[in-house]
Amino acid sequence: MNHTLSILLQNEAGALVRVAGLFAARGYNIDTLTVAATHDPAVSRLTLSLQCDEAALGQILQQTRKLVDVLQVAHPAAALAA
Amino acid sequence: MNAQALKAETTTDRHPLAGQSMSGAEVIVQVLADEGVGVLFGYSGGAILPVYDAVFRHNAEHPRADGGEAMPLVVPANEQGAGFMAAGYARASGKVGVAIVTSGPGATNMVTPVRDSMADSIPLVVICGQVGTAAIGSDAFQEAPVSNIMGACAKHVFLVTDASQLEATVRTAFTLARSGRPGPVVVDVPKDVQNATLAWHGSGELLLAGYRARLRAVEQSALGDADCAAFFAALMRAERPLIYAGGGVIAAGASAALRAFVDAFGLPVTTTLMGLGGFDSTDPLALHLLGMHGTAYANYAVDDCDFVLALGARFDDRVAGVPDRFAPRAKFIAQVDIDPAEIGKVKAVDWHHVGPLVRALERLTAWGRAHGHQPRLAAWHAHVAKLKRVHAMNYDRASALIQPYAVIEAINRHTRGNAIVSTGVGQHQMWAAQYFDFRAPRHWLTSGSMGTMGFGLPAAIGAQFAHRDKLVIDIDGDASIRMNLGELETVTTYELPVKVVVLNNVGDGMVRQWQKLYFKGRFAASDKSLHRKDFVRAAQADGFAWAQRLERNEELEATVAAFLAYPGPAFLEVMIDPDAGVYPMVGPGASYAQMITGDFIPSRAAPAAPGDSPSHMF
Ligand SMILES: Cc1ncc(C[n+]2csc(CCOP(=O)(O)OP(=O)(O)O)c2C)c(N)n1
Ligand SMILES: [Mg+2]
Repeated sequence: MNHTLSILLQNEAGALVRVAGLFAARGYNIDTLTVAATHDPAVSRLTLSLQCDEAALGQILQQTRKLVDVLQVAHPAAALAA
Repeated sequence: MNAQALKAETTTDRHPLAGQSMSGAEVIVQVLADEGVGVLFGYSGGAILPVYDAVFRHNAEHPRADGGEAMPLVVPANEQGAGFMAAGYARASGKVGVAIVTSGPGATNMVTPVRDSMADSIPLVVICGQVGTAAIGSDAFQEAPVSNIMGACAKHVFLVTDASQLEATVRTAFTLARSGRPGPVVVDVPKDVQNATLAWHGSGELLLAGYRARLRAVEQSALGDADCAAFFAALMRAERPLIYAGGGVIAAGASAALRAFVDAFGLPVTTTLMGLGGFDSTDPLALHLLGMHGTAYANYAVDDCDFVLALGARFDDRVAGVPDRFAPRAKFIAQVDIDPAEIGKVKAVDWHHVGPLVRALERLTAWGRAHGHQPRLAAWHAHVAKLKRVHAMNYDRASALIQPYAVIEAINRHTRGNAIVSTGVGQHQMWAAQYFDFRAPRHWLTSGSMGTMGFGLPAAIGAQFAHRDKLVIDIDGDASIRMNLGELETVTTYELPVKVVVLNNVGDGMVRQWQKLYFKGRFAASDKSLHRKDFVRAAQADGFAWAQRLERNEELEATVAAFLAYPGPAFLEVMIDPDAGVYPMVGPGASYAQMITGDFIPSRAAPAAPGDSPSHMF
């Protein structure tokens, strides 16, 4: 299933690499990725889409939340469905 | 305020040095001193020289009452050694281990211990020198992309490009390393940042709003009445409940809380390789190690149980190689962990709690007692006792060759769970795990998840620095010890009374065991009978006054006694039966019921014959 995640990230050295590296290391293939500025210059928003099943999605969300410079991980579609 | 902003100072206690001007290097050393760091492990080089100089001056200016250095800097043969010394120190003491290395090769030599510590949840702070900020990205001399490399394997990595953030960053590294699920944190510090002139604050950390909010949520989460009620409803229905305790019990300091829980409700306990020492292995309810090389009685108990309580354990593939067939009769699995990502990661659970383990166990114990819950487990206890009796660990006691199990048993008769034991990786590691008693946490130092050969000797050195008066024994393999053999000299340089045992089976015994089982005995690259190493002379060359080789069974007891009684560093090579195997063994892809128990431990079912299936698990 296609999922879109929205990640708020502190603009630290290497932060984007760590998110991308986590997905690569755990074998999750990113289909699309956009990085945008937010009103806070120290924070950027990553919007990322990927294909995976529900179990994998739960792991991705939890593992991404373990990255120290991740402020928030949201899965807007799941939030809407809930 | 941006994300790099300092936390508001909540304390009115001013640091005595607040406002003082310091170099970046001095700032780093002052944070280390304030964090109570008592020993540093590291190797010098161009990009870290300012910090080394600041350590030197700090030690000159702050002698301890006994004349010793406040923060001795222990120099290994190789940075990997420093990393494992810091890890051994952390594992044995529960404190954060600190290593300091130079840029480029110094930092890349540190990758293995950082990854090893991440995989075993060991708190480290590693400070790396880096080329000057202006040179980063220019392929400068001794430049390596430490932030990229370490970012992939550490809990976190900071590259400090703004000198004004250095103090808060180093302080925050300690908080990150020890909080939540512990892990290694790397701080990469360009040389110009070490040389910058800074004003010392004395307090303040980085905000890390996301991490801290998640940490707070986990630390504050408590078991509600409904959670406790659901837990005990299932436990009281169970007839054969079992606790599966992992390294989280050690990391959380939860062994006393676990003891109290077991005293209250009588559940037998099996421990993972990382959990050894979390529950007294000599207790009648202790089943010792489970998993691939677990005791037969632990694995059979897992097969028989109808309720599992997993405590700080993560169902990894050495325990639950086939998750669907792990604890196949369990009608209810409960899991407590500090890391939300571990809940249900491998195996779905029926009940879980994410939070500090001590509080969870204390709450469950109090709730169960208050509600008069007393599981009736007499039949299960009798079953467990019978499993332990019938399927006890055993080996060829009549062999003329020295059996490695007998060596561990002989050492154990002296130590009885009171020594700190480190290991390399391989058969000797599993024999040590199986045949030693483990009575208290932080006495067992082994590379569990990464399985890094070369861990044992430097880890023992680090542990001896944490506990100067304790007996520290490295049980090593002839191949594993070669990986960091240079650290033999570190033992004698620092006059550490570390005891080193090499169980020499002339090669990579664990590899040969798999080659016997799965590759028709073709010993590709695992036989060392043509190798020329004389370990005893190597130890003597590095200053071991007591270095002996044991080759005769009948000298085992006396030699072990003399070895352990020697007050200084001692080295004992034991020529063991090269064909000795590690049993029991649950092969890759096999269930516990298919466990091979070998010729000396009774099995309760004929095991499936191992095929020639290629191994992808090793
Ligand atoms: C750094 C590293 N390289 C390779 C391996 C794979 N490996 C696991 S056990 C082993 C053999 C270890 O031999 P030794 O230390 O003599 O222990 P033994 O099994 O003989 O007791 C090897 C090569 C490893 N675990 N670590
Ligand atoms: Mg060997």
